Order: sequence, then structure tokens, then C-alpha cells
Amino acid sequence: MCKSLTLLSTLSTAAAAFVCFSLLMIPHGAQAQTAPAKAVAKGPRMSDGKPNLNGVWQAITTANWDIQDHSAAPGPMWQLGAIGAIPAGQGIVEGNEIPYTPAGLAKKKQNKASWPAEDPEAKCYMPGIPRATYMPFPFQIIQSNKDILMAYEYASSNRLINMGKPVEAGSDTWMGTSNGHWEGDTLVVDVTGLNGLAWFDRAGNWGSDKLHVVERYNRTSNDVMNYEATIEDPSVFTKPWKINLPLYKRAEKNAQILEFKCVEFAEELLYGKYKKQPATK
Amino acid sequence: MSGRVIVLATLIAAGTAAAQTPQNQARPYTAPRTPDGQPDLQGIWTNVTITPLERPADLAGKAFFTPAEALQYEKDVVGRNNADRRDGGAQADLNRAYNDAWYDRGTKVVETLRTSLVIDPPDGRIPRKQQGAPGPTPGFGRPPEGPEDRSLPERCILWPTAGPPMMPSFYNNNYQIVQAPGYVVILVEMIHDARIIPIDARPHVNTGIRQWMGDPRGHWEGNTLVVETTNFNDKTRFQRAGANMHLVERFTRTAPDTLTYEFTVDDPSTFTRPWTAQIPMKRTEGPIIEYACNEGNYAMAGMLAGARADEKKAASK
Repeated sequence: MCKSLTLLSTLSTAAAAFVCFSLLMIPHGAQAQTAPAKAVAKGPRMSDGKPNLNGVWQAITTANWDIQDHSAAPGPMWQLGAIGAIPAGQGIVEGNEIPYTPAGLAKKKQNKASWPAEDPEAKCYMPGIPRATYMPFPFQIIQSNKDILMAYEYASSNRLINMGKPVEAGSDTWMGTSNGHWEGDTLVVDVTGLNGLAWFDRAGNWGSDKLHVVERYNRTSNDVMNYEATIEDPSVFTKPWKINLPLYKRAEKNAQILEFKCVEFAEELLYGKYKKQPATK
Repeated sequence: MSGRVIVLATLIAAGTAAAQTPQNQARPYTAPRTPDGQPDLQGIWTNVTITPLERPADLAGKAFFTPAEALQYEKDVVGRNNADRRDGGAQADLNRAYNDAWYDRGTKVVETLRTSLVIDPPDGRIPRKQQGAPGPTPGFGRPPEGPEDRSLPERCILWPTAGPPMMPSFYNNNYQIVQAPGYVVILVEMIHDARIIPIDARPHVNTGIRQWMGDPRGHWEGNTLVVETTNFNDKTRFQRAGANMHLVERFTRTAPDTLTYEFTVDDPSTFTRPWTAQIPMKRTEGPIIEYACNEGNYAMAGMLAGARADEKKAASK
């Protein structure tokens, strides 16, 4: 960590040593925990002074393949050749380990064994939270003077983040019930009421209908927003854990969310076995 | 229903110019502004009404109900919609089973007392080149061989009423508008769509990109949001229109609890002239709960599996 600071040639040796020392003083894992809340957001502001998060954003990560570290691997369909192969990726889980209960881990393995047919993504089902954030599709934040809407390109899924008095989840849904508030310059979104049917990735990581996700959005520059989510589900995990990744602002002047109404692409998978088969001789 | 609206409607119906004079028209309502200066259309709105899109034949020549006629019409339609009789045998019972305990079709005609949502042409009918209502999906009448034999809403791809353009249907008639600098977004309850409308004067996407819901662009004309939508695909087929359909929608807050919505559809290959419908949308309570259509589409598997079971049974005879 400190080695890279020596590259900052403008820093005097003493100053570099001080910065290095300060960084070392931060306990492991605490940096991501405490930094966003205190950090002053960069980029534009709304008329009420809050950070303006409006724009089209997208993760650049292989987390949708697997939120944990993973090597490159062949894909499920040899016909696609290298097109269908799985890229290697460094995970987004802090510390890389997910503290599953034995039953939680067994279900994850079962999910993975049933991929791709049973992955809700293959069925064009809404991705849930947090998966929606790091799907390989853009999403748009529409930040009004009241609530904040997040509209994801994948499967036309979306969720409205209530910025008023927190509401209880009326019923379990795929995208959950989101209550947001500002902690300084950090948008904190508390998500409950998830139905437990969504997966976290194509590797079968999952949470139940007890899942509680607390997301923290902090814009660290005009082009980058840090996303951190604390994931808690006592029926699946032995303790809360975190994911952390940057979101990048799509810089194209004509950036916009296009339509990905994927139901018709999934119909053969969903209903093929019920279709009328041509008569056999 | 205020007396003023009825008087105004009657005057318009009579075709007099008097309705335009200031003494007959209260000062127009002006919507509050968002912090960035747009007229504030935000909130949850419903377009539920029992007023039909097109004027029924038995009301030909009659553009507006009298208040008494409107009450009678509402009574008749609500009575029909709530048919819960048990005197027609099992099949008739089944056909009538979807009453207003299931549906949310509304109980009122539009507050203008118009007899159709279509306001232009004046006869309240869609000026189709080909006469008759739009036909069903090819293969719709037979036991479904695959999902393609069923309609787009049954496949959870698109509801022809949820839009664009937006028209009332038998349920999920709710919309939430969210505005940010440079954008108006309409959250559509039916199949959870977010229609993101840029209002920054950017051009449409190129013609090579076609979408079920088209590509919308908006601008403000005074207090009215005008949205032009193009780039439809050739499967949307709104009222049989083709991919070149050009849609213009106008949203104006005409009262604190009224968002007057008008749309004009133009497609010379399908219609003899552009036509316009008007729906006063009313403010309603939220929240809108996620409608997971595809995720809960057990009916499609049921219909297909049922058709296969019937075939198997027939083959074994």
C-alpha cells in the first residue's frame, strides 16, 4: 500500500511517510466502512446542495459471473466457443469470503449446479438488489427533489427509493422496498421486502426473504461513484458481509437506457417443454 | 364534477365560441414548479375510466353525455362488469367470473362527460383504413402451440393499453411521474416499465434501433409537456399501426388533482388521418407495488401444458 506513495514525487519524504503511517493505522476493513460517510462528494450538486447523482451509470466488473474471485472457465455451450467462455475476475466481496451457514452454502452449491437453467437472469426475471447494480447493463438514476428512481436496462426493472418518512415493505417483491436518506454526502438506501428468489450472480450466491441490504452511494469524482452494500441475512449467513465496487458514469453524449425486454428471448427456456412438437414419423 | 366543467362541456359540445371567452373560463390553473423550473407533474396518477376509447354505435352523433345520462351509463356498465349471476351454465359462469372483485375497471365516465376518449375525428371513431377492430394475434383461436400464439400481454411483453400511448385497462391503471433536471420519467405499473423521457433537445436514436415502447423525446410548450415517440418496432402494432407510427402526447396539469393527457397517433399506412384521444388523469394514492408479470406467469405454462394434454387425450382415443 505504502510503496505506491513513493511514486508521488511531489510529496516530501516526510509527508509521504506520514500519509503512509496514517493509512497503516486504519484497521483492516475499516477504510471502506468509515470513508464514504465522511467523504465529501465530488461532481455536480442539486439545488438543495445534495450531491447530484443523475446520470447513466454502469459497473465494469465480472461480478455478475461470480461476486467472488474466479478464474477463467469454459462456458456452458461449446457452440459459442470463446464467446461463451467465462472471464476471470477479482471479486467484489470484502475479504472474498461469504460467511454462509452450512445450509446456506449447500443451497448456493445447488443453485450453481442448476445454472444456467435455474438462474433468474436466464428467465428474464427481475434481478433484485444488489445484483441489479452490477449486471452488465447500464442503469439510470433519476434524482428528483423528492424521491430517487433507479431504472435498470436489464428486464426493464426499476425501483423507487422513498426519501421521505421510511415505509415498511407492503409485500415481498423482486426489487424490494427501498428507503433512502443522506448521511452527509452519502446516499444510504435500506432495502427490505426482497422475496428471496433472486440470485446475486451466475455462480448461485443468494439471499433469502430475510435479506437486508444497506447500500451506500458516494460520488468520488465526476465520473465515478463508489457503491458499497452491507448484506445481512441471519437465515443464510453467520454474520453481515460487504460488497464494494465502483460505478462509472457513461460519458457518451447520447448515453441512454435502451430497451431490453427479454421475455421473448427466454420463452424457449421457460416454455419449450410445453410447446407442440412436430409430428415424428 | 363541478358545475363549471359541465357548463363548459356543454358549451363546447354546442360548438359555440362562448366557451373561449374569459367570463366563461376561470383563470387556467398553473402547476407549481420543480426547483429547476419545470412544471411539476410529479405524483401518482390514474387513467381509470369506463368511458370507451371509441364512441359506441348507439351513441353516434352524441359527443357528450348529460349528467343524468352519464349516471345511467355508469350504472349500466358497472352492473354489467359486476355480473355475478349463476343462471347461464358452467361456461357462462366462468366467462363472467372475472368481475370487479378481480378487475379495477373503474365506475365513472371521464369528468368531461365525453362519450369516447377519441376527441378527433369528431365522430369519436379511429379513422382506420381497414374497417373493424384490430384482429387478434395469428393463431389466437387455436389451442396454443407455443407462447407466440397468445397475445403480447399474456406473454408479459407489452400491454397495448399501458403504452405508449397510455389508456385505461382492466387493472394496473396507475402511473407515477418523477422529474429530474433534463428528464421526465413515467413509471408504468403494468409490467413495471420506466419510460425515461429526455427533455434536452437531443435527437432520436437512429432508425436502426427499434423498441416495443419506441424512443421518446420531450419538450415543454408553456405548461404542457409534449412527448414525441418514434422508432417503434413492427410488433408493437398499436391499433394495428406499423413501425412508422408517430406518437405525440401532451401532458398538462389543468387542476391540482388533474393531469390532462392527450395523444395523437399518426400512421398513414394504417389510418386515413391522424387521430387524437384525451383522458383526464386523476391524482391517486400510492405506493405502486411491483407487478412481476413474467415472474408470475404460471398461466402461460398452464395454457400450453393444457393444450398438450388435450392433444394427448385426443390421440389416445
